[in-house]
Amino acid sequence: MTEGQIRFLALLSRETSRFWKIKRQTLGAPLLETFLYISVFGAALGSRINTLHGFDYVVFVVPGLIMMAWAINAFSNNSSSILQQKFQRAIDDQLSSPASPLELLLAFSLGGFVRGLIISTLTFLCSSLLIDLPIEHPLVLIPALFLVGFFFSQLGVLVGVRAVQFDDVSFAQTFILTPLIFLGGVFYSSSLLPEPYQTLTHLNPVYYMINLVRYGFLGYTEADVALSLGILTLAVGLLFALNLRLFKTGYRLRA
Amino acid sequence: MALQPPPHEAAPPQFGAPSGSVPALQITDLEKSYPTGTKALKGVSLEIPAGSFFGLLGPNGAGKSTLIHCTTGLAMPTSGSIRVFGHDAVSHYTEARKAVGLAPQDLNLDHFLTLEETLDFHGGYFGMRKKDRKERAAELLDAFSLTAKKDDRANTLSGGMKRRLILARALMHRPRFLILDEPTAGVDVELRLELWQYVKRVNEEGTTILLTTHYLEEAEQLCDQIAFINDGQIVAQGTSGDLAKEYGVTTLEDAYLELVGRKELSRATLGEDVA
Repeated sequence: MTEGQIRFLALLSRETSRFWKIKRQTLGAPLLETFLYISVFGAALGSRINTLHGFDYVVFVVPGLIMMAWAINAFSNNSSSILQQKFQRAIDDQLSSPASPLELLLAFSLGGFVRGLIISTLTFLCSSLLIDLPIEHPLVLIPALFLVGFFFSQLGVLVGVRAVQFDDVSFAQTFILTPLIFLGGVFYSSSLLPEPYQTLTHLNPVYYMINLVRYGFLGYTEADVALSLGILTLAVGLLFALNLRLFKTGYRLRA
Repeated sequence: MALQPPPHEAAPPQFGAPSGSVPALQITDLEKSYPTGTKALKGVSLEIPAGSFFGLLGPNGAGKSTLIHCTTGLAMPTSGSIRVFGHDAVSHYTEARKAVGLAPQDLNLDHFLTLEETLDFHGGYFGMRKKDRKERAAELLDAFSLTAKKDDRANTLSGGMKRRLILARALMHRPRFLILDEPTAGVDVELRLELWQYVKRVNEEGTTILLTTHYLEEAEQLCDQIAFINDGQIVAQGTSGDLAKEYGVTTLEDAYLELVGRKELSRATLGEDVA
């Protein structure tokens, strides 16, 4: 193993060990939250709504919940981890090491990505025990979920680097991320909305992410799959390039 | 709880060795301006020979920490050059940073990590292999009397223990150049003297040391060369005796008081007043 590989693994291990040490908060709470969503929307609302586009309501909702779990956890992990380390100045240990900006960015990004992956996988496994969840297009589903996870990991890094106080992170999560996800169509089909809400939903980037994931699981989508994948890939690339630039210039990391 | 002497190693040397005539640190015309407009360093040039124990003294805000941050990559220089054992610390930072161990002024320990993990991860960031990290961490925990606490989280330690852990972390990757930014601030007299003995031994084994401190007797006891920094510039450099002579006084403390324009605080003057 090269020195660079050892460095990268150590940086990544630090990020994963952080959430593993507080797993009640970082893994347990999100799992409970997702279970409550499934219970409320599946058992309570589901009994009132027969089917949506030919699927049981709970089956229609679960792909979005799996994606949401990955997105929110990837974001909150990375934004909190970076800000906490900046706050304690513990991040200076990594910044004064020989690690390159790329190694640092990848390690900070993948910490949240892995946490999101674990919670999404557990959500999928638990859901599969309760409902019959098909996987119609795995070759779309896997890249779509990975791209969504990486996008929100990058977004978490960006917010964590920019943040100067904890309020900055909670503001981004409460007032930007959560509304975008909830209004992107996790719990409903945009085709049911009246105008102008339907058009407004189509301006929300999360709408295309949910449609990709739903297509991967159920084979149903309201958006063009190839175009959505292309735009998502481009967005991930742009966000990664922006973050790499911030790490190279040391923006709000190095004085 | 006395600090143990660092165990002897034949090869590779435990704390590095002098590297011939290449200076440990060579800073040329270094300038650093912050976005706020503050000019923290105004053309600093400084050379620290390999193997020396070098003191950098100056009042708060003189530029000591900025100089250290520029050297270790925690601040981006505005202009000028920094070379660590001949490696450019900005454009070829990998080799330069591998050579440097930093014990910062702040107790910047990661609250999520145990003592052992603190050292292990640090070693990993510097590319050390797992087996080497494990052995080195055990050796340093023992040397700093921290073995009994190795599985505790760093935030549960007392201030003195945190200070020891910071020094152990700085030494973890066997740096050839150790930077101690006010290492004894806030520690009791006993631990201060123990740390003095320890770092002196580390220096005798070949590691170059840059020390910043507000305790002038610390600089006098430990350093073979001292520089005064004030308002972002190096204003004097030499041995403790050279500096006293340069300022026309008899002690390093009086020379320092001359530097900061507070000679009325000299112990000699106070003695006269009391008499």
